[in-house]
Amino acid sequence: MTGSLTPVEPPRSSSRSSRRSLGVIGVLVIVVIVLLSQGLLTSLNYFETVDQALAQRATLGTKVIRLEGVVVPGTISRTNDGASFTIAGSGRERVYVSAQGSPPQLFQASIPVVVVGHFVSPTSLQFDGTQIMVKHTSSYIAAHPGRVTAPNGTSR
Amino acid sequence: MIKLSQRLLGPVTLACLAATFVLGLWVTPEDRTQKNLVRLLYVHPPIAWVALYVSFGTATIASCLYLWRRTRSMTMDRIAYCAMEVSVVFIILTLITGSIWGRPTWGVWWAWDARLTSTAILGVFALAYLALRRANDDPTLRARRSAVFAILTAVNVPIIHFSVVWWKTLHQGASVLTSTGQLNVHGSMLLAMLLGFVGFTLLFFWLLRERYRLEVKRDARSIATLDEALALRRREGV
Amino acid sequence: MIAVARLVAAKDLRIEARSRVLLWQVLPFGVIALLLSGLALGPAQAGNSSAGPGLFYLVTLFVTLLMINRSQSLENAPGTRASVATLGLDPAGVFLGKALALTVELWVTGIVLLAGSVLVLHTALIGTVQALPSILVTLATLAVAGTLYGALTQGGDGPATLLPVLTLPAFAPLLIAGERSFSAALHGGALWEWWVIVLVALVAYTAVGILLYGVLEES
Repeated sequence: MTGSLTPVEPPRSSSRSSRRSLGVIGVLVIVVIVLLSQGLLTSLNYFETVDQALAQRATLGTKVIRLEGVVVPGTISRTNDGASFTIAGSGRERVYVSAQGSPPQLFQASIPVVVVGHFVSPTSLQFDGTQIMVKHTSSYIAAHPGRVTAPNGTSR
Repeated sequence: MIKLSQRLLGPVTLACLAATFVLGLWVTPEDRTQKNLVRLLYVHPPIAWVALYVSFGTATIASCLYLWRRTRSMTMDRIAYCAMEVSVVFIILTLITGSIWGRPTWGVWWAWDARLTSTAILGVFALAYLALRRANDDPTLRARRSAVFAILTAVNVPIIHFSVVWWKTLHQGASVLTSTGQLNVHGSMLLAMLLGFVGFTLLFFWLLRERYRLEVKRDARSIATLDEALALRRREGV
Repeated sequence: MIAVARLVAAKDLRIEARSRVLLWQVLPFGVIALLLSGLALGPAQAGNSSAGPGLFYLVTLFVTLLMINRSQSLENAPGTRASVATLGLDPAGVFLGKALALTVELWVTGIVLLAGSVLVLHTALIGTVQALPSILVTLATLAVAGTLYGALTQGGDGPATLLPVLTLPAFAPLLIAGERSFSAALHGGALWEWWVIVLVALVAYTAVGILLYGVLEES
């Protein structure tokens, strides 16, 4: 501070400030693009699919994970304290689940489920579950065929 | 015309919501997998739509307009505040209806997946906004700060919207605003759902209008109280 | 802007160096909080370091909140804000300067706390050193975001109690990301993924601060 009482320059001209604003907004746009191009944090996924889990069997070991797959029809057998069933990935991969705790109301064949649990050993396809969750799709189709016409004109 | 639409807002809202409930509970069929649980489809998505997009969007846009010098006015600040307050109600309702739907379908009341967690964070942000407003008495300071905070908070909304696309979540993807533009809801179910969207959106604007009027009266009242107190002091002085 | 930033940062750091609030108040608090978390876990659990990163960031959060308020309160002496306003300083520069000073202070605290967690919580030394870059970036992000949120709370009722309410939802993702990359350095896993999000948040908060800090300060 010099002690001089002459008025200081106004901080910045409005054109400079608007140029800077544009620059900053440009930076923000780049940030968004970087985020989107990064495949965005696969760790935030709530579950591993059967395919993913089998692909990384070696690192997963017997760690507790959430495993997602579609219940194979005809494999469900309900036990006293839960259910055992087979879930399938997108290909021919199968995992044999025995889970404790009562399955949710919607649990049925051919529905995608998420099972919390772990593989019995680092090499086995047996999966010990402690909780079954149903992951239903976002499609809603009427239960009684013939009562509703689908958007493509067919009755279903 | 404007007067008429203002007068009709309440009745039309009630009619839309009533029609949604009648369609949703009695007319629409059961879903193939969800059976009767599908009826939450006519309530939960519309409420979430209002909470995240309509009311939070209104609050954000009003906040931006407040910060922009050319459109700066206390009206914008009041709209932002009132919209945020209504938003809190709708976010809480979103979480409650979602929870009620989640328990029988997923088997859990709550899951820490990306969609649910980011929505809960938005709710905390909205509550923090209200806390921030209460902490400041000076109207212009309060308006400026809460506008900045609202804009900082709004970043969360696109994250919530795309969370089901970017990450694997327990929450299902979109049924109506899908990336492919395909509708995943059929027939009368879609009609009931869209009517729900209209009804709850109108309900938001109705609530916003009433809340805004209340806020105007409250501001006028506080000025009048100050004037009365000043007049009283003057009389005492004489 | 840069010149103002340097000026403000130097001023804040000089005040800190002379008042020693960091040394005599904040650091002891952080170390005690760390010790208490070690005690709460018990000797058997504290040796098992899987909770280390989480506890480190929890203590860091407490310390950060204290230091944000401290950083903002430097201008609280009567008339200071008004006289600073008449200096005609570029608000973006003031923002960057305050954020920079806070970053340096948080780095010092962070390194002390890291040493503490190696000693008390037995986090592996090599993993901790490997995690250091990610921790420094996370602390810088907390400082930048904290400067912005800190400015929002000053002058109203109860800034010290309002600050946690405003910052927690914003800090939560940063703390989680920091904790995950720390854990990844210790136990293996995707390190870079979490790094990216913190780095992006740092750039975004800096940009938003440059844009909006002036709005908060203008009167």
